[in-house]
Amino acid sequence: MAETVVETKVEVSLGTPWNVVVHNDPVNLMSYVTMVFQRVFGFSKEKAQQHMLEVHYKGRSIVWTGSRERAEFYLQQLHGYLLLATLEKAEC
Amino acid sequence: MLIRRLKENSIELTEIEPIEAELLRKVPSVCDTGGDSRSEARLFSNPADTSERQFLNDWNEYVRPELRHLFLSAKKTVEEDLEKLSDHSGHLSRLIVPRAHADAWLNTLNQARLILASKFDFTDAELSMHDVPKSFSRRDLVLLQINFYAAIQERIIDAIEVEEE
Repeated sequence: MAETVVETKVEVSLGTPWNVVVHNDPVNLMSYVTMVFQRVFGFSKEKAQQHMLEVHYKGRSIVWTGSRERAEFYLQQLHGYLLLATLEKAEC
Repeated sequence: MLIRRLKENSIELTEIEPIEAELLRKVPSVCDTGGDSRSEARLFSNPADTSERQFLNDWNEYVRPELRHLFLSAKKTVEEDLEKLSDHSGHLSRLIVPRAHADAWLNTLNQARLILASKFDFTDAELSMHDVPKSFSRRDLVLLQINFYAAIQERIIDAIEVEEE
């Protein structure tokens, strides 16, 4: 009896990565934005300050990149702290 | 006014001048946007561009009401704390804010500042200006109010940072 070999190809889709972007806002205090980054992303104070300064001087900073679901979760947190934050597709 | 962290898990606002007490009492009412579209747009800013139509619809349906609830809840906490602000006409006041309420205070002061800045359409340059104006228009006074609330936010952050570090 002939043996049939069935090959199964498993594809893992990593999906498109998404950026969480924080935009400059003249009202939110620098110390407040730093504190929020530390709390939401668990950044060290130094890393949080680097992102805060990027927001301040460049107008925006990509604070996190990853899965869509997680990005939406972070976005909701940032809006709860009243930061200007958006979701955008990461450039591959 | 002095703001400091007390050992028993609270933040003390002391030596509050009558004018400062008045500005503090105004915080909850300032947080009422009164339906002002600019203020609403700032408090509930879009989380993506218009290409993400479905996401924006879902956000408006599910997330926005949660955010509104969060902001109202924070305001209510501050409102209740402010009821305890001692009131000795013409004298300095004192207020104890439980440490657990610090986030509600930061959030509410932020709401107040964002709404005032939106309603009065302050520019980035005006908000960054620290010079004392020669005369005070209503607009200048609102800017002082925004900066007064910012100073309180800074002190509260200082007070809680010591603990978090």
